[in-house]
Amino acid sequence: MSAAGTHWLKSEDWWSVWIGLFIFVLSLGVFGGADILGWGAQMNTWLDPGGAVKLASTAYQGLPVLLSILFTYLFLLAILSVGACFLGADLKQFGIGFTVVFALSLLCWFLGHYAYIAATPDKLGAFGIGWSLNLTGEAGFILALLAGLVVGNFFPGLADRLKAACRPEWYIKTAIVIMGAGLGAKAAQSTGLAGAIIFRGFCAIVEAYLIYWALVYFIARKYFKFSREWAAPLASGVSICGVSAAIATGAAIRARPVVPIMVSSLVVIFAVIELILLPFLAQWALYDEPLVAGAWMGLAVKTDGAAVASGAIVDSLIRAKALAIDGINYKEGWMLMTATTTKMFIDVFIGIWAFVLALIWCTRIDCKEGETVRLREIWNRFPKFVIGYVLTFAVLLTVCLSFPEKAAAGQLSTGEGNTFRVLLFAMTFFSIGMISNFKKLWEEGIGKLAAVYLISLFGFIIWIGLFISWLFFHGVKPPLAG
Amino acid sequence: MQTKEEPNLVEELSRMEWEPLVAAEKKLIGYSIALGVVLLAVLYWVSTAFFIVQP
Repeated sequence: MSAAGTHWLKSEDWWSVWIGLFIFVLSLGVFGGADILGWGAQMNTWLDPGGAVKLASTAYQGLPVLLSILFTYLFLLAILSVGACFLGADLKQFGIGFTVVFALSLLCWFLGHYAYIAATPDKLGAFGIGWSLNLTGEAGFILALLAGLVVGNFFPGLADRLKAACRPEWYIKTAIVIMGAGLGAKAAQSTGLAGAIIFRGFCAIVEAYLIYWALVYFIARKYFKFSREWAAPLASGVSICGVSAAIATGAAIRARPVVPIMVSSLVVIFAVIELILLPFLAQWALYDEPLVAGAWMGLAVKTDGAAVASGAIVDSLIRAKALAIDGINYKEGWMLMTATTTKMFIDVFIGIWAFVLALIWCTRIDCKEGETVRLREIWNRFPKFVIGYVLTFAVLLTVCLSFPEKAAAGQLSTGEGNTFRVLLFAMTFFSIGMISNFKKLWEEGIGKLAAVYLISLFGFIIWIGLFISWLFFHGVKPPLAG
Repeated sequence: MQTKEEPNLVEELSRMEWEPLVAAEKKLIGYSIALGVVLLAVLYWVSTAFFIVQP
């Protein structure tokens, strides 16, 4: 990894920490009586479009919603532009791209909240409607993904113009840092459950690394006759964490850069297919085991963006179905927390796994004179956004546990941060769709690579992931709402 | 941001030479799966014994 890739002002990873923490710190103002972010625009389920947008805090009552939307847009544009500037992006291109990505994502988020799409059974009466698709407002994420896919695959010229602002990993990592605060506040309501989720997520990951990687590597080498240079990044890409794992492994075994790049392009495409299929499969089969479903999304869906996004969808789909069928109203966010925790352990382990592989390659498989493996590589490959997540999680958890009387302020604070978190999620979905060029699947010669990926992913990774998730999370239920 | 010239996948894959699995690779695969299975039992026991979730 280059110095620029890990420098605290030159990497997307670090900038997700700075921006996430900036929003988090502003949201903490409510604890001291200063409501700084209450003007943010949030979405309600709606039948009348006029009632769709609401303000994050009643302190700004009277502010027109159009101004609220404008402020939200300008705020995100300003802080992301600072990051984009340090990351070396063309600011004009970034500004134009961001404006379009933001507008289309917001439109999808708005449409997804239409009552006939989003309303849960307990809300049908309030809207005076007899049915709905029962998808909750998170349907907006799926719409954003579909819109992104349309732009990326049918309007390549437009997609190219928006490229500067098409940064799904940056958006999702920033959203995860903000989300840490919300999950910290949730964990304070049930510390035992949160601790169990964290430990069980860790167990699931140890298992996934040891079993998945070895199996995929063996199949690629033995049955598909891939060379070591191809098989190792492919095994990491399919089995661990997609793009970053493929790149880290490629570097660890000194593969040519072209190898992980090609593996990564496949990872992104298949992650979208998983993102579309698995949450609905989980809703169908696992609505009575919500946290198994959450962990499964974290284990099976590749790339940070798609995995956490799947966790968000599965959270709303399963809550809606459990409410509709069994009348059980689970608290929001626990499945998402499980998916995120599992995914983050995967990310944390990438550096360690890459180090182990580098050591084995350097000493046992491909010994080159004078080549050494440095421990520092583990830190270089450590996902820095995890630091931001842990910080926001720990601060809110500590505050909520130490000052229970401040629970309302904690709720308002995380709610205001959430305004930006969901918009960053929507932009992640849109961007993932936009960079997923399905034409790649028709490219001559990709069949062999895609076959290993397809067989490994749908043949056993998804199912072993389901088994491991079930083993560690069955019977563990989220707290009930109300 | 500059777009780099896209590498040709067909050419890259056709250039790939077959290498037999060496002993170190077989050990890596075998030990990894064996350790995975052993830890599965150990971690499951630890999680149910020390991280009990009250309904």
